[in-house]
Amino acid sequence: MIVGDRKPLKEIVSAIKTYKQVLVLGCGSCVTVCLSGGEREAEQLSRELDQVRHYQGTPPKFVVGSILRQCERDLVLAYQDMPAGTDAVLSLACGAGVQTLADAFEPLPVIPALNTTFLGASDKPGIWTEKCKGCGDCILIHTGGICPIARCAKSLFNGPCGGSKGGYCEVGQGIPCAWTQIVARLKKMDKLHCYEQIHTLKDWKPGGAAGLRNRVRTGLGDGNQRN
Amino acid sequence: MSYFRVNQNCNGCLACVENCPAAALAFVDQNGRRTLKHSMTQCARCGQCWRVCPQDAIEFQHLLTGQWDDVITLDLIHCQICGEPLYSPAYRQRIESKLNSTHEGLCSKHRQSYYAAKWPYGLPSRAKTDLK
Repeated sequence: MIVGDRKPLKEIVSAIKTYKQVLVLGCGSCVTVCLSGGEREAEQLSRELDQVRHYQGTPPKFVVGSILRQCERDLVLAYQDMPAGTDAVLSLACGAGVQTLADAFEPLPVIPALNTTFLGASDKPGIWTEKCKGCGDCILIHTGGICPIARCAKSLFNGPCGGSKGGYCEVGQGIPCAWTQIVARLKKMDKLHCYEQIHTLKDWKPGGAAGLRNRVRTGLGDGNQRN
Repeated sequence: MSYFRVNQNCNGCLACVENCPAAALAFVDQNGRRTLKHSMTQCARCGQCWRVCPQDAIEFQHLLTGQWDDVITLDLIHCQICGEPLYSPAYRQRIESKLNSTHEGLCSKHRQSYYAAKWPYGLPSRAKTDLK
C-alpha cells in the first residue's frame, strides 16, 4: 500500500495562499487507510487552513471533496466535478493521484498536500512500515520473504555490514537489521543455503534506472477510450 | 438495493462479467431469462466493467457515492431530567455488571445535582456561609 505523510501546514499555506478558491480533494484508497489523505483528513485540513491568521489578505475559499481513486484519469474526468471558481486543487492523494489530476485538469494548478513516502504494510494497527522499493526484480524467494533492498539501509545483497549490532541497524532509531532478520527467517525455514548463495550485480533497469516504468495490459477498453 | 446499477441500455452481452478482474460479476440463465449478479464484497470498484461495457449501460456513480444502509437500530435510555440520550439498555447492563451497581438514567451534569439533592444532611455549613 502507498503511504504518505501530510506536509507541514506552513508549507501548504504558502503554496495555496495566493489562490481565491481551492478544492481540497481527498482520496478514498491508500491514503484513507493510512489516515493521511482521506475525506476526513481533507475536512480537517480545510478547517486548519481556513484561519485568518495564516494569511495577510483574505483566506482562500475552501471546498472539500473526495473521490475513490485520484490515480485514474477517466474516473476523475467522469466523476470529479470542478466547482465553478476553483483556481487551484489541493490534493491529498499520493504523487500518482496528484499527477493524474494535474494532467486531467491542466492548466489548473494541482498542489500536493502529502509527501508520498513508501510502499508499506501494516504489521500492527496504526503502524505502517516500508517493505518494498519496487525494484522490479524481486528476490524475496532467496531472502525468506524479507526484502534487503527496502529494509536494509544500505540495500545490501549478501549479508549484514559491520555496523549491524545486536540485531539492529547502525542507523539507529530501533531499526532492525534486515539481514539479521533474513538469516533468522532462513534458519526457521531450513534454507540457510540461500544465505550462502552470492548475489552478484543487480540490473536496476527494472527498478526505474532506465526511466519510468509501465505495465501494459491490452484488451481493456482499447476500443472504448474514455477521455 | 444494489450499488451496481445498469440502465436500460444493458443488453445482457456479459462483457462486464467476463472482464471483471475481481470475479465480482456473474450471471444466471433460468426460465429463459438472464439475471446479472454483483457481489459488493468482491468488488474492488476498479471500473473495468464501466470501461468495457459496449452499451455504456453501467451507472458507476452509484458505486462511488450512494445510499446508506441501516445496520442496527437500538433503543436509547435518556437522562430523566433533561432527556439527553445516554446509552442503550445493553450498554447500561454492561456498565452495571462491571461496576456492580445500578444506574439511573442521568447525564453527567444531572447526576451531580441528583445526588446532591439526595444528600440527607444538607450542605456543609462552610458552604452555606460562602454562598451568602
